[in-house]
Amino acid sequence: MFKFKSLIIPFAIYIILIAIGLSQPGLWQPIMYIMFYIGIGVALNNFMGLTGYVDFGYVAFLAMGAYGMGVALGYFTYLGIWAIPLGFVLALIFAALLCTAVGGVALRLRGAYFAIATIGVNEGLRYLIEGAKIWGGSEGIILSGKLRKTFGPEFANYLSTFVADAALIIIIFIASVITVYMINSRVGYALLAVREDEDAAKVMGINVTKYKLIAFFTSATIGAMIGASAWTLKLTYVFPEDVFFIHYTVEAIVIVMLGGAGTLLGPVVGGLIYGALKYYLSVILPGFQLLVFAPLLLVIVVAFPEGVVGFVKKKLQERGIIEYIT
Amino acid sequence: MRKKVFVLVLVGFVLFFAGCAQQPEEKPTTTTPAATPTGPKEETLYFGAPISLSGKFAKEGQMSLWGMQVAAQWINENGGIKVGNKVYKVEIKYYDDESKKESVQSLIERLATVDKVKFILAPYSSGLTMAAAPIAEKYGVLMNSHGGASDYIFEQGYYYVVQTLSPASKYQTGFLDMVKTLDPDAKRLALVYEDKEFSRAVHQAAKEYAEKLGFEIVYEKTYPAGTTDLSPILNELKAANPDVLIGGGHFADGQLLAQQLAELNINIKAISILVAPSLPAFYEALGTKAEGISAPAQWETGVKYSPEVAEKLGVEWYGPTQEEFIKMFKDLAGEDAEPSYHVAEAAAAVLSYAKAIEKAQSTDVDRVREAMNDLEFMCVYGMWSIDPETGKQVGHDMVIIQWQNEEKKIVWPESAANAKPCYPMPTWDEKAEGKTCGS
Amino acid sequence: MIAEQLAANIIYGLLLGGVYGLATMGLSLIFGVLRVVNVGHGAFIMVGAFTAFWMFTLYSIPPLASIVVAVIVGLAMGFVVFMTIIRRLLDAPELSTLLATFGIGVFIEELSKFFWGPDYVGYSWDIGGISLPFTELPFTKLYAFGSSIVIAALLYVWFSRTKLGKAIRAVVEDKEGAMVCGINVNMVYALSFAIGIALTVTSGVLVTLFTPVGINVYMGGDYTLKAFVIAVLGGLGSPWGAFYAGFIFGLLENGSYTLLGLIPGVEPFGLTRFVSFTALLLILLLKPTGLLGGE
Repeated sequence: MFKFKSLIIPFAIYIILIAIGLSQPGLWQPIMYIMFYIGIGVALNNFMGLTGYVDFGYVAFLAMGAYGMGVALGYFTYLGIWAIPLGFVLALIFAALLCTAVGGVALRLRGAYFAIATIGVNEGLRYLIEGAKIWGGSEGIILSGKLRKTFGPEFANYLSTFVADAALIIIIFIASVITVYMINSRVGYALLAVREDEDAAKVMGINVTKYKLIAFFTSATIGAMIGASAWTLKLTYVFPEDVFFIHYTVEAIVIVMLGGAGTLLGPVVGGLIYGALKYYLSVILPGFQLLVFAPLLLVIVVAFPEGVVGFVKKKLQERGIIEYIT
Repeated sequence: MRKKVFVLVLVGFVLFFAGCAQQPEEKPTTTTPAATPTGPKEETLYFGAPISLSGKFAKEGQMSLWGMQVAAQWINENGGIKVGNKVYKVEIKYYDDESKKESVQSLIERLATVDKVKFILAPYSSGLTMAAAPIAEKYGVLMNSHGGASDYIFEQGYYYVVQTLSPASKYQTGFLDMVKTLDPDAKRLALVYEDKEFSRAVHQAAKEYAEKLGFEIVYEKTYPAGTTDLSPILNELKAANPDVLIGGGHFADGQLLAQQLAELNINIKAISILVAPSLPAFYEALGTKAEGISAPAQWETGVKYSPEVAEKLGVEWYGPTQEEFIKMFKDLAGEDAEPSYHVAEAAAAVLSYAKAIEKAQSTDVDRVREAMNDLEFMCVYGMWSIDPETGKQVGHDMVIIQWQNEEKKIVWPESAANAKPCYPMPTWDEKAEGKTCGS
Repeated sequence: MIAEQLAANIIYGLLLGGVYGLATMGLSLIFGVLRVVNVGHGAFIMVGAFTAFWMFTLYSIPPLASIVVAVIVGLAMGFVVFMTIIRRLLDAPELSTLLATFGIGVFIEELSKFFWGPDYVGYSWDIGGISLPFTELPFTKLYAFGSSIVIAALLYVWFSRTKLGKAIRAVVEDKEGAMVCGINVNMVYALSFAIGIALTVTSGVLVTLFTPVGINVYMGGDYTLKAFVIAVLGGLGSPWGAFYAGFIFGLLENGSYTLLGLIPGVEPFGLTRFVSFTALLLILLLKPTGLLGGE
């Protein structure tokens, strides 16, 4: 299992982060905040990093996950504890449905056309839910009361402060394994060819659409799982305005680019820098953090246009350590 | 290449120092030695607040922060909070949550654990308050909502969340009462509001109330958030020919609603718009077009709450008088700043904590929460008392403000009013010629 | 009754479309020439809106005149941003400019908040309007529409008649070829970026003519989204396509309202957004490079 060597560094980062969160008082939520950013980075990277396609409407998959869990807990509360696995299943189903629809239409498009068509999907879906009053429309689904009634306040709290976090962590670990697997499998090689030159890949007989769809589907379902756990389970409500907020996609793209697209370690490092920087700046410079954050971001982009990991990889080209970094 | 390494090191340093900078703050309850050995022991008590200083609630966030700081300053200048032989000075510990739910959760935890804060002032807006509630409950800290109006927060069974501002269901009801008293024949009511959870809650409750009062709903439509043209709805509204209009949602769309009613020359006898008209920027933006437009407000400069009124009602007065309050606010925010109701409601939340702690004679969360159940006092913001079971605010009354002659006047309820309602409001043509309410 | 309202909505949709069109041209131009997707687009619209606001409030300069100021401000901002940041990223992977423009957008917004505060402001330039039997048309909205057409037309003339304009078109067509012909590609890049930003800032002024209230440092977000979509609808990189697509988008947004209102139990205004975004997808399905897009 040579190729899984590269998992050592990201797993070490996760474990160190979790250890810090568990041992230091008051750092658990901040660590989860960073983990959330790492999570959306890793999830998006599975598609954006591997195919080179930017999906601006990516947040719609998180939203689908959030709604999957929301619908399960809100409308099937009588199932008791079984509503939670049902929530993850629904999250998967909703994301898969959206994936099929978007994949069918948008994936035929190239580059920026694809990127922006997906904005249309995201916004269109949001306004459909609000305008046609689906799942409570703009009033959303509010769960805490129901959860507390069904499971008791203690367990309801346990759900949103422990189970949700644990689920997110597990998802991130799994997502990283999937990334390594994808990069080193036939899918990864095919997508590398697509990334370099899609037309040439087609001519060579690679089923471009199939591989793009595989990456798209993988990334979308991971996103949906994150939405189901980090949003619905943790926050105990779903508001369409919140879950379709396109700013999250932009943040995810920034994280992937910051770390280095198409690498395993990239989104992890990107999420770590992005999350930690934002958190500490908001603590020490409340109100001015973004004013400091933006120029820092610009400096990083200008200095490392290929992302921090991309840069390190280039520097370490010849060294033995390179096999630990993908 | 060197340059890049340098940048990397620089970023590393920033992160490192960011991590260090918080160290001194880790022990917030620093005991300062008492001035005289026999005097009361003086300690600092921190109230924590995640505040939206950037993002979509930046305006309200800034206002509430000033309100909290004014209240804390007043408490400290007036003997602090006395518990036993200790005197607590209050300080507000705040972080910027960027109006985002993820940040709110981290910051609440930080406040509860690193800063060991037991009393939290909830973030602005119902959504963020909901996001904060499970974390606050987990750490057993009290949370006082000064910006989360939605009723549903208090229907979820969170024992440690209490409310200082009047709930959403109360926002437009006073205005309907007022219109009914002024003109029993004005029956045709229209509702045009933003399709968002908060304005929906407000207007659903208002609609029910209006039907009870005998209004006839002639038109009801919502518009999506962030819209820049309301003409499709307003063209229809004009055809419905309403006597009374209630609606709005937030700052931008409220201004837009008034602006386009004027552009399309839709004359209505009385208009009440959520949030937007309560800020001076509304009149600055619209000029005379703002004349006669009303809005519900949690508080307004000029309300008649004072120690004398409190005495007459037989309740205790606590906190600065209105004059002191406005002076302290201006010292903090600048001479030109006008306090919005967000300032008063945030200040009241701080005062209610102080009062409850003094009443409980303890800083234990459970005892303070219990003391809040039958706490009743009046401050610059008005009455404060909660429903013991849900924590929902029941004592406080909202006021209706109306722009009259370039000034915001309180016109309802009569007991708090400092001007007569201007009804029916001048038509848009009259206003364009310079007619104002009262001229 | 319904016919009258439909007519009113279509007229308003057209007026709105004109503003949308101009608000998108800058984005398309920058993408067409430099292949940079300006994620911070909305921040520049916001700067334009505040330009109009401050000029009117402080110096009583009517918004139409502040267009000149906006063009100057926009050109200056464009040059500065290009020289300090974009220029360094032209050889970097295509997407790194996304990150940069995101950072620039956040920076401009936060800096504006630092100086101007988080208030929602507006101005009143009341100059009357035309009364139609079924609706009122304020002159400000008509001016916004008119200026947007005039500016687009001027730009068209400039592109087709002047040497610089032709040079820009040459670079869009064939970068290497243009270089061989002795065109200074870097200069063309700088110029196009600056003009793109100037157009965007100017459209911010027109936006306030259309909606003179609710001006706020974070107002740009919604315009960015719409501009993206309109740009694609028109065929990315084609400013004229963007201009036409603006009309289509405005018409769909407002025009579909009357029909959607016939469906019971829904919120028609919210659904108009659904309709316009769905239309985008359908058009792209038929023509994957937008209405006026080449290959």
